[in-house]
Formats: sequence, structure tokens, C-alpha cells
Amino acid sequence: MNAKNYSNELAEAINAREYLQEQWKAFEMVYIRRIMGITSIDLGYKLQLPIIGRLLRWSAERMIHSEGKHRNPVRADGHFGQVIPLEEAKIILGNLAAEPIIENYCMCRWMQRGIKEACCINFGLLSGVIEKLPRFIPKDTKYRLDRDEAIAHIEEHNKKGYVATVWFQPVPYINAICSCENPECGGLRLRNDFGLHTVYKGEYVAEVDPDRCQACGICVTKCQFGVLRLVQSLKRVIVDINKCFGCGVCRHACKYDAIKLAPRDNYPALRGVY
Amino acid sequence: MFPKKSPKVTIDYTKCGEKGQVDPRECAKCLKVCDPAIFILHESPNMPIDPVDPKYWRITPVWLSLCNMCMKCVKVCPLGAISVSR
Repeated sequence: MNAKNYSNELAEAINAREYLQEQWKAFEMVYIRRIMGITSIDLGYKLQLPIIGRLLRWSAERMIHSEGKHRNPVRADGHFGQVIPLEEAKIILGNLAAEPIIENYCMCRWMQRGIKEACCINFGLLSGVIEKLPRFIPKDTKYRLDRDEAIAHIEEHNKKGYVATVWFQPVPYINAICSCENPECGGLRLRNDFGLHTVYKGEYVAEVDPDRCQACGICVTKCQFGVLRLVQSLKRVIVDINKCFGCGVCRHACKYDAIKLAPRDNYPALRGVY
Repeated sequence: MFPKKSPKVTIDYTKCGEKGQVDPRECAKCLKVCDPAIFILHESPNMPIDPVDPKYWRITPVWLSLCNMCMKCVKVCPLGAISVSR
């Protein structure tokens, strides 16, 4: 929650405009083009190869987290994110996000499902870059949002079941809050299916109050990560906190106010495990 | 020693894609039918690239290791352009 990371000054200092223009004009090509001679096609097989797989994983992680000076936008150097609960997304959109704020079509859902859904909220320098690319801009709806509208929209997406994530592009410049879905999200895909740290878990984990839980199981249907399970013998829902991303989407479904988020640090086994 | 080979999913680009009869952006049936979402829709690298508004698109099966060979894409494709094999 460092205001500096959202500022236009930082964006200019790290040449973010050129980076974002290059990255966004052909974003759909990110898995198709050769990156150091290798495409992402059949990445699962490549990552499991002896020696080569390890090298590949190491260099992919290095790319994702690159803080170097000469970052290559077409391989998304320094582009990763973190899951955040709705409350934090609201704080970011209400106070920290640089104007203008736009809501454009989710690029991941477009490239992985062929669906255009306006649910990615971008801000600062990135808004100006995306506005020039007509395929991401909703035609019939208002896409430039003020802060209150952006907060209302993120709340709507979150309650629908989409996971709020905040993104560096490139690190440490923050310019997007997405509403992600597993497995369509490019970041969640690489994290959950291939173990690459494109998306970090949030600072919280879900906790079920056994006295309040009425074992209706509706929260189980909302979890994108398969964390919740209705245990009939206990007549309550249990949480696999090792898998929990702390998005808090399950809370919206609970009619009995039985789920709350607890800081990840409350659990010694989870401290520092993102 | 070596990992299990992924299924082979191939698309006949003479039927679908920049040279085919159907614009993959309009159809996209395979993208929607696939539960693990192994396909990626992208601008065609074989055509001159329009950086602002690409006109030529194609679909590439990318996440092959996640393919369960359910054959739903083969059945749903109106052009019969997809084949899946070991």
C-alpha cells in the first residue's frame, strides 16, 4: 500500500509507457512467441524434463520477477500480481490508483475463451495505452470510471465470484486490479497448473466459524481454488488453508456470516508462504 | 526418466484461421467447450501484423499437458478442423 508505487512519476522513471505499449499491442502472442528460443506450447511437458525443465523454471521465475533496467515487454518481464480481498481493492481504487481509471475487456478471458467481458480495471499510464487498442475497449458501455464507479464495479465482480488481484506491470509500478477466474486467468493458470509464481497468495486465509456454519455448502461452489469442503459428519465446512489464496470471495456467499478472513501470519506454518 | 508425452492436438489451418472460411473470433466454440481451457486465440503470426487492431486470428492448442482427450473440441468444431491423438 505504498502510494509511490502507483504514481505517474515512478511510471515515467522506469519508462513504463514504452514497456506497456509493446506489451499490450500483442498481448495474445505471449504464449505463442519464442522466448529465448522456447514457446509456452506444451509448457507442462517442458517443465517436467530433467535438467532443462529446472533451467526453464528458474529462468521463467527470473523473468517474472525481473527488476533489471532493460526489461523486455514482449516476455512480460517484471509482471506479476497478488490476490487481495475486496476491502483492499476498494482502498486502492478509492485512494491510491492514479487517474484515469478505465474498465476494459479482460484479455485473458478473451484469449483463452473468446469471451469479451469488461472486468479489468486499469489505471494510470496503462489506461492511456489500452485506450488506443480498440479490441479491449467496451463499445456500448461507459469504460472511463470515476473512483466510486470503479469501487462499485469491483464489488459487483467480487460478489459474482471473481477473485480480485493487483498487478505490477512492470514491478514496482502498479496499474491494474483484475477480477480473475481460474483457469482462464493467465496468471492463475501458470501458478496453479505449473507452479510458477505469477500470482502470489493474499495476506489472509479464510476461517469458518463452526458455531455459525449451517452446513449449506454454498460457499464451496464459490471457491476458485478447491479450498472449501462440506464435511457431512461435522455438519460444517472445512478449509484447506494451505491452498487458500485469501481472496474472500466465499464470504459473500455465506448467509450466516460464518466465514471471515484471518491474517496469514496467525498460522505459523503459513508465515511467509505466498 | 522423461515425462509422459502430452496428447497431440492439431488444428487444420486451411479450414480454420486466417485462411479458413470461419473467423475464429466469431466461432471460438473449441475455446468454450474445453474445461481445462487449453486453447489460445491470438493474432496470426503468418500475416502482416496490425499492431492496433489485428484482423487475422488463429487458435493454437497451448496447454497440451492438461488435455484429457475428451474429444469435445473435435465434436464441436463445425469445420472438422481439430484432431486429437496420442
